[in-house]
Formats: sequence, structure tokens, C-alpha cells
Amino acid sequence: MSGSTTQTANVPDTVIGPFDELLFARLMEGGEPANLLAEREIAFRAYQALPSPTSFDEGWRRTPPDRFPFQDIVPLPRLAPNGATGSGPWDNEFDVVVSVNDATYHVADRSGVLRDKRIFVMPLEEAASVFPGLVHDHVLGRALPPDRDKFVALNGAFWNFGLLVHIPPGVTLEKGILIRYAHQQPGAALIPLLAVVAGEGSEATIVETATSPDGVPFMTVSSKEFYVGDAARLRVISLQEWGRDTDQLGHDMAHVGRDAQVDWITLNFGSRTSKLVFGSDILGEGASAELDGLFFCDADQHIDQQTLQIHSAPNTYSRLLYKGAVQDQGHSVYQGIIQARPGAVKVDAYQTNNNLVLNDGAKADTIPGLLIDADDLKCSHGATIGNLNDDQVFYLRSRGLDESEARRILIRAFFDEVSARIPYDGIRERVHAIIDARLAAAK
Amino acid sequence: MPEIETASTLVAENTPVQEEYKYGFVSDVEVDEAPKGLNEDIIRFISEKKDEPEWMLELRLKAYRWWLTKKEPRWALVDYPEIDYQDIRYYSAPKKMSDRFKNEEGEMDPEVKRTFERLGIPVDEQQRLEGVAVDAVFDSVSVATTHTAMLDELGIICCPISEAVREHPALIQKYLGAVVPYTDNFFASLNAAVFTDGSFVYVPPGVRCPVELSTYFRINAVDTGQFERTLIIADKGAYVSYLEGCTAPMRDTNQLHAAVVELIALDDAQIKYATIQNWYAGDKEGRGGIYNFVTKRGHCKGRNSKISWTQVEAGAAITWKYPSCVLQGDGSTGEFYSVAVTNNRMQADTGTKMIHIGNHTKSTIVSKGISADQSRNTYRGLVQILPDAKNCRNYSICDSMLVGSECSANTVPYIEAENSSAVVEHEATTSKISEDQLFYIRSRGVDEESAINLVVNGFCKEVFKQLPMEFAIEATKLLEMKLEGSIG
Repeated sequence: MSGSTTQTANVPDTVIGPFDELLFARLMEGGEPANLLAEREIAFRAYQALPSPTSFDEGWRRTPPDRFPFQDIVPLPRLAPNGATGSGPWDNEFDVVVSVNDATYHVADRSGVLRDKRIFVMPLEEAASVFPGLVHDHVLGRALPPDRDKFVALNGAFWNFGLLVHIPPGVTLEKGILIRYAHQQPGAALIPLLAVVAGEGSEATIVETATSPDGVPFMTVSSKEFYVGDAARLRVISLQEWGRDTDQLGHDMAHVGRDAQVDWITLNFGSRTSKLVFGSDILGEGASAELDGLFFCDADQHIDQQTLQIHSAPNTYSRLLYKGAVQDQGHSVYQGIIQARPGAVKVDAYQTNNNLVLNDGAKADTIPGLLIDADDLKCSHGATIGNLNDDQVFYLRSRGLDESEARRILIRAFFDEVSARIPYDGIRERVHAIIDARLAAAK
Repeated sequence: MPEIETASTLVAENTPVQEEYKYGFVSDVEVDEAPKGLNEDIIRFISEKKDEPEWMLELRLKAYRWWLTKKEPRWALVDYPEIDYQDIRYYSAPKKMSDRFKNEEGEMDPEVKRTFERLGIPVDEQQRLEGVAVDAVFDSVSVATTHTAMLDELGIICCPISEAVREHPALIQKYLGAVVPYTDNFFASLNAAVFTDGSFVYVPPGVRCPVELSTYFRINAVDTGQFERTLIIADKGAYVSYLEGCTAPMRDTNQLHAAVVELIALDDAQIKYATIQNWYAGDKEGRGGIYNFVTKRGHCKGRNSKISWTQVEAGAAITWKYPSCVLQGDGSTGEFYSVAVTNNRMQADTGTKMIHIGNHTKSTIVSKGISADQSRNTYRGLVQILPDAKNCRNYSICDSMLVGSECSANTVPYIEAENSSAVVEHEATTSKISEDQLFYIRSRGVDEESAINLVVNGFCKEVFKQLPMEFAIEATKLLEMKLEGSIG
């Protein structure tokens, strides 16, 4: 990370790459509504107050901050509306499709839900005047307070694409919302901020996909916050296929209300370096969170994921299943935390992380954790690291399959425990195709 | 009934269990001590008291200078106020014993002897225990060692480490600091600079030590730190089982205990190391107690060697301790069995490290944590499979039981695998003591307290069965004593 010019030896460097006071001042003159600027201001103050992470910080020990070449990055100006066109293969399966590219974005209302004002999907600039209350409460709200993390603060101060999704109480969205990120421009940084507010008793699905070409250096620092109201149900699927020269930092959090449920599947395949923190904080009694994930880390990829299963209320449930493979020189880091806050009794939480190390030299770290401050509950985790079971490979070979085919089938089966939960056939098939291609490309 | 007598090494008599810490008495012993504070002169003073050769003093000074450049580690999930290292006395010895090694006919201070008798530790050869050779350490010096004749016959060296420095310099120079170098961590380097006593054990090739070797550590003097150093070497094909127990008086101020234990197992050798730690843990409000900052590490250096750690951590205000195994020899095995029980305001951050370097190395981790009252109990462990270590296997299970609503139980295992032939499995659960099990036992006519003790005992059984029988009984009693009044 590059230093600011005014830095002295004893003062910790708080400026990351080009994200300095000057850039912030320019952003503040961008003509945004005053209430939105106020949110940026709060985040910027937190950003200035927080020290830049170093590899001496526990959370960054396995992913040194200098893997993120911020010094070479040019932040994109705020993305302009009504630009990005083009279509994706799954557009027909959604009510609303938001496409985002280098400089522009576009919100397509494919089933008239926006026109009929059943739900609202709008840039933050617009939301700030239409839903000032929602923006005040739920943009960098309690789920992602900017003073929690340096990069949450950076995102909150410097975001260049902000979106509010509001599902009013009682509304059930049949098909869902697709947000597609596709980037081409080298050396740019995309800083998206997404706030989803699902009202009481509502039901919706949000799918996010991300792509960029290999060979194009690109960076993204994203934040997503989900507020799942009482008795609401929200499904989130995130398919990450950034190119091999994209580095991503992400911080996502769901707040889950009484009797509500969040089902969240993250599929992390792309990027050169990823450092992601995400999870749920269950705030209401009777609520539950199901978190599933897949990752495949090959070549020189480095994927660092931290999941949080926080229980702040009694009688709550969470289940997590993260499965991944490392191949070639890939290095994956999984850190999972189950936390029961004082008073969170009758909690049932489980966390499983299974890792396949497919060749020597690939590396998988797993650090499951339990932080329990309440009694009368049951929290457990299980973690495994290993290769395929030799007996199973032998069995399949005895049925006439060659070794690579036997291994492919077993690895597919390993991933299937999660991929079978993906409710969209197209996305599930895409996951299978990615895994097959990765196995075929093993060095 | 020799077995039952042996049992009394850890808990004095079979008196009815009481909530109070019954080892909390202070002995009135005339002492020979260093002034408070730490500097190079103090280290020279300690070295001189121990009548050490020049090279040992050089080692101590090197460690001290390195220590000065380091900061105390604060990553563990424990809170304690700043320690003033200049306010600690680094050397204290019962006066009549301070020249023990210069004057062979020196009698043991009767008060020290009485102390060990009250603790149930027989230090007289006449009253020695069958099957256990005892080395008793009082503050900074070893005061007595039993069974020496029989051990001599077998060629087993079992003596205070200060004696070994003088009598067996070749072994000490070769192995001291070979597993835990003075640069290892803050507390280990402090220990290397100021360590006062501890045990040295060498078991020659092919010898199976027929008795359990045991050390009993006692802190008595006020404001004194205890910095013991233990080094155990099992030569090719040797076997040794070693036990340690610890207690300290009740005091309102905290005392520091920073020990280093190094184990080395050569080809086909086996070392079993068991600890029953019952340092004074402070009162209900968390006043006083021992800070137990300990570095323990075993090196499975030879092929098919085995090192097994068993610990029952029942005392100390703060425990910071990770007995580890470096599995270097092909086919070597590391084991870690632990019960950590915390009550009142005790804090424990303990676990193990299993570092797989050799091929076909195996490790097993069984950790049972019990937290009661407002205590904090953390398991922290590392399992690391290095890239060239083929066919390694690890199995870990870490269970925590919660007794009371204000305690916390944390589990933080670190697992790193870099070899595709590794198989690593880890499981952990945290839950309240099972209502169903309690109900079942009570329905058979057992009162609640005993029902709880039965369940807790069952929970810890996997660990206790690693201990010699007498010690397992004592460990069970210790646990019952700790949890008395915490439940309900």
C-alpha cells in the first residue's frame, strides 16, 4: 500500500492508494443529495481514523495486504445510469436485471414490478430523496458500521456504484433480482455498495454475478448489507468469476429479524486474490440462517474467506457448509466463527468446512472458531482437509472408469452437496462446468 | 494399599472436599533471596547461586538481552493488568537448602519438609512411594529427590537441572534450548535468562524407566516468580513417564510462573508427560492467583518416536499454555489430552500445536473444556502439515461444557495442510451439560451434585484414562472440588 506524502514515521499510514482527502473532496462536489454526502462523510472520518491493516494483524496474517496493489489503481468515477446494455444467459429467469459495466449501469424492469411499484431497485442517489429514512437507517447501517473495518469505511466513503433494493412488507417476488457485474477496463477500481431492505413477511431472491477478463488488472472493494425483516425470507446467491488478475475485497453482512430466514450461497471461483468477510447476525427470536459456499482455488489463486454466524437472540438456528478444493499452487484460507452473545440461549449452530487438497504444493488453511458467551445451547463445528478417498477411486476404476474420470466424478460429488442447493438450473450447470474446466486444466 | 498412598501426591489426604483452596497455606521458612527486579547483575547472582559454569551464564545473558527487545504477547483471549517485571523477585530459596549442593550432609529445613508433608509429598527416602520417584521444588530450588539409587543402577539420570548443568554439561549443552530456543517467545526467553530449577531426565538407550518420575512444584515466597525448566531426553528405544503437580499459597497479589519444558524422543523412544496443575487460582472476585505462562514442547526427533501430553489444568488465575509436538521422525506420533476447568474468574487459553514434518506422522488431540461461573476457557491449537510430509494423519476433538450462564467458552483451532496425502479431521462442540443425562441419572436415585459429577467425569474420561490410575482418581476429585457450588 502506498503512503501519503505527509506521513511521518510514527503516524500509522491511514491512506490507501489513491483514496485520499483530495479524491474525497472531489467526490463531495459531485452533486449528490446532502443526506447521502453526510453518510459518506461519516465513513470518511472512520476511514481516516482506522489504521491500514498490516500482515501483523491476525485477520491479515495469511493474506498480506500488499497482495492488493492499490498504488496502481485508478478509482472509477461514479457510474452513470442507463448505459450498460447487453444481456446475460439467465436474464429471463428474473424480474429485474441490473447490469453494471466499467462506467455505466442499467436497471431493466423485465416483469413490470418496478413500474407497478411492487418493489424498488434504485441507485442510492435517487433513493436518498425517495426513501431518506431507509437510506439513513440501512446504508452503512447497523449491519456494516464503517468504523468496524478499514475497507468498509473506504467503501462507504468512496463508493462509485450504490444501489438500494427495497422489498416492501408482505411482497413476494416470484423470480428475483439479478445483478451482473462485467468489467473490462484495466487498472480501475469498482467500489459497489448494495443495501437490501426486505420488509416484514416479504420474500425475494437476489443473484449476483461478477466477471472480468483474465489479464486485465482490476480491483473491487465491495460492501453488501441485507436487512431481513421479521418473518421475511431472503435468498442470496453470489457467483464470483472475476478474471485471474482481479483482486477483490468484500465485506457483506445480513441482519436477520424475528422468525426470518436468510439462505445465502456464495460461489467463489475467480480472482487472483480475494479477501472476503461475510455472514449473518441473527437479531430476532426464531430466526435462522443457512450459509453455503463453494470455492476452487488453482494456479496462483489466493482466496481468503471469513464467515460469521452471530447469534444475538435466543432460540435461533444457523447452519453453514463450506466446501472447497485447492489445486496447483492455490492457497485457500477459511476462517469461520460461530458467536453466541450473552443471553443467546437455545441456540443451535453448526459449521462444516471440508477441503480437498488435490496436489502437493496446494495449501488449505481452516480455522473454525467458537466464541460462546451464553449457556444452554449447542454450537459445533467440523473441519476436514484431505484428498479423495483412495478406496472410492479404486471402486470406480474397478467399474471401468479411468483414473481422471473417477476423480472427476468424486470431486463433482464432493461439490454437489452445495451445488444441489442452487435453485437455478443454469447457475448450477455453470458451477459444474467451471469445476470440470478447472480439473481439466490441472498443471 | 500402596496405590492409594501414591494418590496422595496430589491431594493431601482423603479429607472431605471443601470449596476453599486447601493448599493455600504459607510456610514460614527462612529464605535466601535476590532483591526484586531484573538486570544483568541479578542474572549473575542466580548463576552464581547455582554455581554454574561460565557458558551457562553466557546463555542466560544472551537470552536476557534478547528478551529486552521483545514485547509481551497479548493475542490470547485473556485480560490481565500490565506486569511489572521489576517488581518480581527472581530468586528465593529456603536458607538451609541454598547450599545443598555444596554441602552434602545438609539437613532439609524442617519447615520445608513439613510443607511437603502437608501437601502429601513424601520427600524422605524412608517414606518414599512405591512406583514414583519424586523431585520436590520449593520456590527456586529443588529440595529433594527420591529413588536415586535404583535410577542410578539403570543409568537413568534424574536430577535437578541445576545439578545437571554441573554434572552433565555435555547433555545440557547439546539439548538445552534445542526444542524451545531462547528466541522462541517472550516468556520462554525470560525463562532462559532467569530459570532457577526444574528436572533433568535422561533415559539411556533401550531402558524402560520402571517408575513414574514426578516433580512437585511449590511456590511459597511472596512476590516471587517461579521459572522452572525441565528437560527430558529419551534415548533410542527408551521409555519414560513423567508427572508434575503444582500448588501455591493463597495471596491477594498475582504471581508469575513462566516455565519451559522440553522433551526429546530419539528413535523408537516414548515419553509420556502428565501435568496436574492446581496453582492457586485467585478468589471469587478474581483477586490474586498465579499467572501460568508456560512453553512446553516435545520433539519427536527419531523414527517411530512418540510423545504424549496429558494435562489437567484446574488452577491458576490465567493459563497460557500450548504443549506441542514437533513430529520430525518418520512414523512418529504426537498426542495431546487435556482437561481444562475454569471457575470463578479464571481465564485459560490453552491447547496444542502438532507440526508434521516427517512422513507417516500421526497426531491426536482430545481437549475437554469446562467453564463455570464467570470464567473464560479457550482452546487454541494448530495442526500443520508441511509440504513434504506424506501420509500424515490428524484427528482432533475439542468439546466444551458450559456450567453457568456468565462463562464463556471459545474454540480456535488453526489447521494448515500443504500435502495432498494428508488427512486432517477436526470436530468441536460447545453445549450445556445435558439435561437428559442428568435427569436419567437422578431418576435412578442419585442426588443432583453426584449426577453432575458423574456426567462431568464421563465427559473427561477420555483424558483421565491416559493418567496413571492413582492420578486419575485425584484428577476426578480435583474436578469435583472445583465445580462444587458452581452448578445449579
